[in-house]
Amino acid sequence: MVQLAPADILPPPGAGRSSRLVSAFADRYFKWLMIAPAAILILALSIYPLLFSLWVNFVNYDFQIPGHDFVGLQNFLQVIQDPLASSALVLTILLSLTVVAIEFVLGLALALAMVRTFRGRGIVMSLLVMPLFISPVIVGQSWALFLQRPFGPADYLLGQLVGHPVNISWVGEVPWVYIAIVIADVWQWTPFMFVILLAGLAAIPQHLYEAAELDGIGGLQTFVHITLPQLAPIITLALTFRLLDAVKLFDIIFMLTGGGPGTATYTASFYLYQIGFQQFHLSIATAGSWIFLILLSVVIMVLVRRLLRVEAA
Amino acid sequence: MKARLTPWKLGTRRLREGAVRIVIVGLFIMFVLVPLYWVIVTSIKPSKDYLTVPPVWFPAEPTLVHYTAALFSYRGLQGLINSLIISSAATLLSAVLGTMMAYSLARFRTGGQHLAFWVLSQRFLPPVAIVLPIFLLFRGWGLYDTHIGLILAYTFMTLPLSVWMMYAYFRQLPKSLEDAALVDGLSHWQAFRLVAVPLAAPGIAAAAVFIFISVWTEFFFALILTSRYAFTLPTIFRAFLGFQGAQYGEACALATTSLVPSIVLGMLVQRHLVRGLTLGALRG
Repeated sequence: MVQLAPADILPPPGAGRSSRLVSAFADRYFKWLMIAPAAILILALSIYPLLFSLWVNFVNYDFQIPGHDFVGLQNFLQVIQDPLASSALVLTILLSLTVVAIEFVLGLALALAMVRTFRGRGIVMSLLVMPLFISPVIVGQSWALFLQRPFGPADYLLGQLVGHPVNISWVGEVPWVYIAIVIADVWQWTPFMFVILLAGLAAIPQHLYEAAELDGIGGLQTFVHITLPQLAPIITLALTFRLLDAVKLFDIIFMLTGGGPGTATYTASFYLYQIGFQQFHLSIATAGSWIFLILLSVVIMVLVRRLLRVEAA
Repeated sequence: MKARLTPWKLGTRRLREGAVRIVIVGLFIMFVLVPLYWVIVTSIKPSKDYLTVPPVWFPAEPTLVHYTAALFSYRGLQGLINSLIISSAATLLSAVLGTMMAYSLARFRTGGQHLAFWVLSQRFLPPVAIVLPIFLLFRGWGLYDTHIGLILAYTFMTLPLSVWMMYAYFRQLPKSLEDAALVDGLSHWQAFRLVAVPLAAPGIAAAAVFIFISVWTEFFFALILTSRYAFTLPTIFRAFLGFQGAQYGEACALATTSLVPSIVLGMLVQRHLVRGLTLGALRG
């Protein structure tokens, strides 16, 4: 990189000798001084806690049992042997794949429907993206209210639709509770897919479609042979971002189901929260979060590296 | 190759496509609006309208009584004030520190791709993995349940957003003006402060709004790192878990209080939404 002329060639007028030295120093190490505050904060609140928790992994750190004795791999074994931990992990994977798939299909359909300009498009856009600006806690709470039995409007509206009274226990029964979670998540995050895919669609050169039309190629074929390949990098990006957020699913579970009925809707994050902050087995929860982190890091490495390649291209 | 479409066939196809578009968008808008409408209308319903079949969509006697109850009996007002203080301070800090780092990354390629990647990777860390040790450390440092503690946590949480949004922004700004300033004898800091920052001001403003919204709506960190003093608006919703006391109106009043400001802010930066959602990786 080009290092430009150091500023001490032309000192600011009136600067004393020591302040000139300081400013010369600041100018020489400028690029490092600029990243220092942010980097220190990240080090202090991410790297240091992670290192600290590395130690917590191997000792007893429990608000119910005093002392920090070395326990070896005991904490990890506790998590691995807990059937609830593995079922929470499986549920997390299944739920995130489900919601991301649905959000992708709906988002793509919406983006295709919105790609042409029309009157009132601005207002329609604003309405479509509103859920993105709402706290997930409120989303969970709103759906809990909406799906309430027997006085929530969801069962009533469904009843009107099918012509006889409907009485679904949305948050009290499997499989309805999973459907309720998926609905709430899809409600909040489909706009995310939509916005990104729409930007991707709008960037596809129009002449490709004009050429296809001249050749008399039909809508579906244009979609398969022009739209999808052109959109592929954006699809990767949207899926990566969404998937890595979906696996953190916590807020909606917390408000909508509380993990229930029983432990049917424990996700990885909710499980770790329960172990750590409701039962106060902090070292076990820490070991569990390290397992989760390691599993996730593999996915992050693969997906984000690919993203950087896409972006560099 | 298929036979060419006659103008007539093309016309009906357009019509059909148009109808499909309207149906898709229309249905989704209803899906978005109906629950939102329900929350807002419940916040102004008198309590006797809660438990009725069919549900009351248009209350005959709207009331603001739930707002006063939510703000004063559920400590909503303090949550609101805390949220405002914490979100504003974290936004300011994150925008300043993020812009500085982004400038260094964009103009000097400091640390190469690794440093930039490291910052980005923080964005994908599951909060549950770091909030546990942060909780333990904050208790030791006396930062647990303090405004400062949560401000620092949120600044950290939003740094990937501010760094990457501003990184993308600086890379598309021409460097020539800063170079000219350096030739004129300004220091690097002066070139940054007096030339680059004013040029990047619109980008910084957009990034700041996104930071504010993500802090304003955050729940998990606030849930773990605060209790009765520095709690934010979203954490109050715990009081309504399961609706045992049937506090529908209060819950909805609080929800409305929280969602209206962030939606309004969101509308202001809608133009930048794609950059905000993808941390600047994609331009809208």
